[in-house]
Amino acid sequence: MVLGAVPAEYYLVLSAAVFCVGIFGILTRENALIFLMSVELMLNAANINLIAFAFYWGNLTGQVFGLFVMALAAAEVAIGIGIILVLYRNFDSVDVTEATTLKW
Amino acid sequence: MAGVFAYAPAIAALPFVSFVVALLAGKYMPKKGALAGIIATAGSLGLSIAVLVTVFLGETYNETLYTFVGGDVPFELTFGLLLDPLSAAMLVIVSLIAFLVHVFSLGYMNDEGETGLPRYYASLGLFTASMLAFVFSDNLLMAFMFFELVGLCSYLLIGFWFRRAGPPSAAKKAFLVTRFGDYFFLVGVVGVLTTFGTAQFAGENGFPALAETVLNPETTADAVNTFGFEPATWFAILGLLVLGGVMGKSAQFPFHTWLPDAMEGPTPVSALIHAATMVAAGVFLVARMYGFYALLPTVLAVIAFVGGFTALFAATMGVVKNEIKQVLAYSTISQYGYIMLALGTGGYVAAFFHLTTHAVFKALLFLGAGSVIIAMHHNENMWDMGGLKDHMRVTYLAFLSGSLALAGIFPFSGFWSKDEVLYEALVHGLGGSPLLLGAYAMGLAAVFLTGFYTIRMVLLTFHGEARSDTAEDPHGVRWNVKFPLAVLGILAAVIGFLNPLPIKKLTGLEVDFLHQFLDSGPEALLTSSHHYSGLTHDYAGYSVGTIGGGEIVTLLAGAGASLGLALLGAGLAFALYRGAEPTRHTEKLGGLQTLLMHNYYQDEYQVWLAEGLTLRLSGAADTFDQGVIDGVVNGVSSVSLFSGDRLRRLQTGIVTNYAALIVLSLLVLLGVFAALGGWF
Repeated sequence: MVLGAVPAEYYLVLSAAVFCVGIFGILTRENALIFLMSVELMLNAANINLIAFAFYWGNLTGQVFGLFVMALAAAEVAIGIGIILVLYRNFDSVDVTEATTLKW
Repeated sequence: MAGVFAYAPAIAALPFVSFVVALLAGKYMPKKGALAGIIATAGSLGLSIAVLVTVFLGETYNETLYTFVGGDVPFELTFGLLLDPLSAAMLVIVSLIAFLVHVFSLGYMNDEGETGLPRYYASLGLFTASMLAFVFSDNLLMAFMFFELVGLCSYLLIGFWFRRAGPPSAAKKAFLVTRFGDYFFLVGVVGVLTTFGTAQFAGENGFPALAETVLNPETTADAVNTFGFEPATWFAILGLLVLGGVMGKSAQFPFHTWLPDAMEGPTPVSALIHAATMVAAGVFLVARMYGFYALLPTVLAVIAFVGGFTALFAATMGVVKNEIKQVLAYSTISQYGYIMLALGTGGYVAAFFHLTTHAVFKALLFLGAGSVIIAMHHNENMWDMGGLKDHMRVTYLAFLSGSLALAGIFPFSGFWSKDEVLYEALVHGLGGSPLLLGAYAMGLAAVFLTGFYTIRMVLLTFHGEARSDTAEDPHGVRWNVKFPLAVLGILAAVIGFLNPLPIKKLTGLEVDFLHQFLDSGPEALLTSSHHYSGLTHDYAGYSVGTIGGGEIVTLLAGAGASLGLALLGAGLAFALYRGAEPTRHTEKLGGLQTLLMHNYYQDEYQVWLAEGLTLRLSGAADTFDQGVIDGVVNGVSSVSLFSGDRLRRLQTGIVTNYAALIVLSLLVLLGVFAALGGWF
């Protein structure tokens, strides 16, 4: 039980840190691809939480949820890349601050 | 014979067909639609006579034919036919006059080379159709609809010569003034429907019968919705509202101002409007729902006084007019005043009798005037005429017959009917309703003036020396003018013998045919004249009183007074205007003449009412609407416009900003939860 030696708070702090890195990426970057990566980071932060709690409670449901989130992330990336491709075709860049033609 | 009732709707449908034909195909037809109109009105006349004969033989008809709003509603709205003695007789009068007017129009319009004839004959057809449908209506709403159509057609016809300045303005005036009255009528129709749940004229379920059961103290009737008023008060309000429409259409004071202006229309149209359709519609409506009015003494008194006053008031203006059609216009107003007087004093038969004789002699006088106007190349000033009797024999004799009837000279028709009107006013005035004597006095005074202006008109037009070149050598008229004049001229002389009441009273012979006819018909319809006289006696307190030695003395005194006054007026006119070159005596009246020529400044004060008062009021209302009501609405919208303009700046279109907002909100939410949850 190597994992058992590590207290749960550590996992939560790690998860929060990864989540904040994702948020930071979204709030500061302008490249849509970085956005996508940041979203992945946030999803994985959630995964860490799910698995850590599943381990601590000895309940496999959390791990199953983790698998679901990974599948979801894969689908999300596929759609996200598609959107980014279209964005590039229309604006000749993947800068999200330029795609503002739908505002008032 | 009752099978003729199945064809009765065709009485109105035939002229309607002629309207469609003249409108669509009139310009390709040889007489531009006149023939269609003549055939249609002749057909209506034939059918009307058949209906009259059937009704005379004792059959009547009161059926609903079509329900246009029915089912689960508080009251049904229907079309139906009511053919009783009153409507059958009126149908014959209307279709006869309409037929003769169509024939006369051949001479007045076609032979004079007028343009727009299809439009003329189409309007004439629709006019006749709507009046006939109005006459046989079995309920108030249907009557109202056709009443309005009659008004519309008079607008179209008065404004027929729309390229000149006068006619369109006269048409507009006629339309607006009658519409003002009809506004009250409409409210009255709605009131009758909501009060009684029905607008049927006749029968046990008709609204007059329901009103009677409510007012009758001996019966315990189902309560009707009187909106919190005493039933008698509420019924009087309803009666007065409907009377508004009547006074507008029948040109009673103060709504008479449209009628003299309506002379701008073609003369045959004036004949139709004055004799049988438009103006007659008003008084016919009162006669039609007389079972309702007979219950309301206040309304009857109002009718009597309006009638008496109008009779006198209009007659004074007729005295000074110089145009032949103007004199006739004021005489029409005055004569309809008599009819109203008769209705108000309980003389139901007398009123209808005078309506009949007036229809004949006024149509005759207008057609005669039309003939004179053709001869004078459309100059209507009587001072340019004179001496025409030698040039136009038929017109002169017919016109004379009509004039003597109008003046009320024995034994022409007007004498019998006017005498009966005044007799009814006199006996009911003496018999316990002394107020009516005031109306009677006004009616009697008008007899003198009528005699005066009628004879003045005849003398100026036909006698003396020709006073202009056209009068020296007048334009001839053809058979299509002479034929209607001859028919009506003979009728005007003899139709009084339909109902010579004095002869009956003096000799005991049963010659009061109109009385007997209007008294016939099944009891169930509740439209017979003895039913009405019972109602006026029981509810309005009218009873017969006499002077001195009884009925005969009263009759002779009344007849003597009216005939004497008529002869006095006629004699005065004869003394003043005979001779080759009559002088303009009315100019000696000075200020009075000016007042009369300006029609008592009625037009001026009505224009002031419209422009000085109503326009200002509506201007103030407009200001209030624009400023206050619209101001509030505009204020609300500008607040949201302004805030929306500011708030939309939130939408930058940059994803990062939205994400930042979401995160910030989340943090704020967390902070709030933390503070409320006591985490710190």
